Amino acid sequence: MPATGLQNILKRPLIFVSGKGGTGKTAVSQAIARSLPGRVLWICFEDPTRPPGALTQVGPSLWQLNASAGPAFAEYAQIKIGVKFLAQVFLQNRVIQYLATAAPGIRELVLLGKVWFERRHYDHIVCDMPSTGYGIAMFRSTGNFATLFGSGPVHRDAEAMNATFADPSLTGHLIVSLPEEMPLQESLELRTFLLDLFPGNEPALICNRLMPALPGTEALSDLDQGSPLPRDARDFLRRRSLLERENIERSWTRQGFQYFPLPFVAPEPGREHEHLVERLSTLLLESSR
Amino acid sequence: MSRKALQLDELLQKRKVIITCGTGGVGKTTLSAAIALRAALLGRKTVVITVDPAKRLATSLGIAALGDHPTDLTAHVEAAAARLRAQGAPAPSRIAGSLSAIMPDTRRTFEELVKDLGFSDQGASRLVNNPIFRIFAREFSGTNEYMAVQRLYRLHRDGDFDCIILDTPPSRNTLDFLNAPRLLTRFYEEKVFHWLIVPSGKIAAAGMRKALGVLERLTGGNFMTYLMDFVASLFEVQESFTRNLHEVTALLEGRHTGFLLVASPAPEHVREVGHFTSEVERHHYRFDGLILNRTLGYLGEPEHLPPGPAWQEAAGILRGLQARERRAADELKRIPGAPQPLQLPELARDVHSVEDLLHVALALDRDSVLH
Repeated sequence: MPATGLQNILKRPLIFVSGKGGTGKTAVSQAIARSLPGRVLWICFEDPTRPPGALTQVGPSLWQLNASAGPAFAEYAQIKIGVKFLAQVFLQNRVIQYLATAAPGIRELVLLGKVWFERRHYDHIVCDMPSTGYGIAMFRSTGNFATLFGSGPVHRDAEAMNATFADPSLTGHLIVSLPEEMPLQESLELRTFLLDLFPGNEPALICNRLMPALPGTEALSDLDQGSPLPRDARDFLRRRSLLERENIERSWTRQGFQYFPLPFVAPEPGREHEHLVERLSTLLLESSR
Repeated sequence: MSRKALQLDELLQKRKVIITCGTGGVGKTTLSAAIALRAALLGRKTVVITVDPAKRLATSLGIAALGDHPTDLTAHVEAAAARLRAQGAPAPSRIAGSLSAIMPDTRRTFEELVKDLGFSDQGASRLVNNPIFRIFAREFSGTNEYMAVQRLYRLHRDGDFDCIILDTPPSRNTLDFLNAPRLLTRFYEEKVFHWLIVPSGKIAAAGMRKALGVLERLTGGNFMTYLMDFVASLFEVQESFTRNLHEVTALLEGRHTGFLLVASPAPEHVREVGHFTSEVERHHYRFDGLILNRTLGYLGEPEHLPPGPAWQEAAGILRGLQARERRAADELKRIPGAPQPLQLPELARDVHSVEDLLHVALALDRDSVLH
């Protein structure tokens, strides 16, 4: 049964962090990037709060990139066309500009293309993938374009990208989940999808935001009964903690899926995100020793 | 300066179409189902278009068998209400309206759209056999969103329901799904297709000839042929396609349609509210309000806890989240013209029965006429 450990995935040059929206992929992927040795690049996609295409150094050997389709498309066209003047004519053409924004899958393809090109400049690249549906569309775009462009340079690049993402010595896939029923289920669906696309490259599972196990709580039998609304804070904590363990047991452990647990980190006023990333990267570093 | 607080029941009684938007993980699917159920309780003939229902919720609602046509769930709701009353829980004795749900089939909606557009038999088969179309229909990340809007349009046009709730698929940018019709409109308005159906030898503009030549070289093989063929197909139905786009846009912009934003009570989500409201207004849509879902403030201070460090740690997490919620509320107040949100409680467990959904629907507005 599937048992790719997190540490095994973290040794690979290219790491994709996928999962449902709201599971904490951004903080987890940033924490991973901070905990890795060597030159590391953390990539997010189309983050509206950062300038498009911005590359920033955030540590002695850590960089962050907001990959954006516009700049990535221009860069890719420049590389492929070679002649600067011709690339300008191409990029400023309104039919091309229209196709670049409207043609299905182009954005996804150039964003992954950017990741693929950057891999030569770093020891590790960690990607904060968009939430499940859009993330899937991104991974599918390479296969689609390999088919659609029967030959030519884009076809060859798309095929090479696919081969890289499928190779367990080059690329690792991580799926971040929460200990709730739906995210746990969807994570397994995402795993199946990734394995279909990249056979033999087994993803590793992370369960994020686990509440502490609470001693002295009653048996589980009454948890599914009554209103889903808790009576008070104590009732909420009790039911949450028990249910999380039950959910993981039912959805993952009983099917033989192993996972790496990450605790719920209480938010710290004013620097919540930074504090969270620091805590998680410390935990990851400790577990790798 | 601050707008009136969201009056959910008032909206549910007057809007014909309510579109719920929000990023993933905010509980939008369950909330949309609960809102639809509440509209039914208020007497409206309601249908919820759900794109991505939770599996167990789906099963208990009978949604496993649901498809592209509305399934009436009113009898399930009435039976669940009777079970709740038998347990002594508050539940209405009758459902004044009705509740249906559909899970649109993207492919089918696409086929019906193609039929509606009035393609000739030959044109339709040319289109559906085009590799670009096939990938477009199956994979395009915006296709589901666009087809959900098309399904909404058809349901509205058929007139069988007086309240339609559209649960939009989660996306990074909550309004992504609205861009597809605009991109398609541009396709006709800017006469982009013109250049792609003219044989390249006849293009007089040197720049255009060069650019398309580069495109051909990069994409290789038959792509340009497929592209011209695809474009020619769309050209054939320009008139009806444009009409469809205008009608869909008119529905979204109309006075019977409103947009609700669902967010979680965290400062970083609240910051997106300003962006969302200005985008909605830029599109000439109606912003109906903000729902902060999964709030914990109502639980109050954790008290009478058993001893031990684990309980203390858990209580610390809860207090931290409650404090974050207060910061989010403060931040919201600082956004000019920000709406007063409707706050909904976080649940102790997942919703997986019609009874659970009734509990949530009744909790949507505790002061309302339904109590």
